[in-house]
Amino acid sequence: MPMKGRFPIRRTIEYLQKSDIFFKNTVKIMTVNYNTHGELSEGARKFVFFNVPQIQYKNPWVQVVMFKNITPSPFLRFYLDDGSQVLVDTEGKTNKEILQHVKKILGKPEEVLRAEELAKMVHSNPANFGPKKYFPRECMCEMEGQVPCPGLIPLPKEMRGKYKMQAEAEDA
Amino acid sequence: MFGVVSVRTAPLFRLLSPTCFQAVTVRGRKSRNDPKAKSKADRVKVPPPVDLAEMVVLKERFTQYELIIRALRAEFKEEMLCQRYEEEVGSLAEEKARHETEQHRMLMAWNDAENERLRKLREHRVKQEQEQEELKTLQVALALEKRMEEYIKEKELEILTLQEESKNFITLDNLEQRIEDALDNPKNYNFAIDKEGRIVKRTEQK
Repeated sequence: MPMKGRFPIRRTIEYLQKSDIFFKNTVKIMTVNYNTHGELSEGARKFVFFNVPQIQYKNPWVQVVMFKNITPSPFLRFYLDDGSQVLVDTEGKTNKEILQHVKKILGKPEEVLRAEELAKMVHSNPANFGPKKYFPRECMCEMEGQVPCPGLIPLPKEMRGKYKMQAEAEDA
Repeated sequence: MFGVVSVRTAPLFRLLSPTCFQAVTVRGRKSRNDPKAKSKADRVKVPPPVDLAEMVVLKERFTQYELIIRALRAEFKEEMLCQRYEEEVGSLAEEKARHETEQHRMLMAWNDAENERLRKLREHRVKQEQEQEELKTLQVALALEKRMEEYIKEKELEILTLQEESKNFITLDNLEQRIEDALDNPKNYNFAIDKEGRIVKRTEQK
């Protein structure tokens, strides 16, 4: 069964995860004004078509709004939480240039992303045991190569305390 | 393990004390209401035997050990809390916030410069487009004017030729004269022409 729509690759998880723009926590709304016709709006149109889904996937808490054919020239506008607005003119730019520009001014820098990743890893240590919801495993009996759960398969007599005590009693 | 196994463990020194015979309660295989097994009916549970001298020594050692461990634990916890506080509220956080605002300001300045550059480009382009428009309208006007002039000239020429021809028109005044001229000078159209238009053959008019 073929995929639906033009450029259906935009709907794949792999494509969506390719983006590396994580907006700063202060960015709340992103507005894109562009036109459906005209050479100058071509970059903005491509940005909306190819890159906005990726950005939204990585920033689910940022509201993205699109306006078509309202203004003669295309631009992006970001609304931050302190009330200020950031205008980015995109007339004549390609979608890649727009992406790089946005990443530079409002994307989290590499160091911050790495630090956040480290902090997340520290909190979620994969070596911990606990409920399935939060940890990879609950008991060692789940692991391949370890002693199976005595609840399912009884332990051999040598490992059971009852028989060990009996053996000691007999010896004594 | 499946099935919740809750073990209520008392601290070690309490187990070692001679006065308390607190047993370790484990639920295990049987539920609360199951009777005791027949083989265990006479069994008297006796706590493990205690060597008094060893117990005294161990108690002493355990108190010291636990004191040290507790101190270490508190030390590490204090260090971690301090660090977290520093990161969230203290000077480190202030430094970070200051750095971030500075960075933000610089990036906004760069963005403004970029917008300015694009604005200049746009204005230049708009100006050029306007000039081209003006040129175009001018050219159109000139072309129209030229066409009108040509039209007028053509019409004037037509009028002149008509005036010239009107001299040879037959009017009521010279009607009789022209009739007599025509009768006096009969024209013979009985001729054949070749492809080049030269007259080849003539036949006499009867």
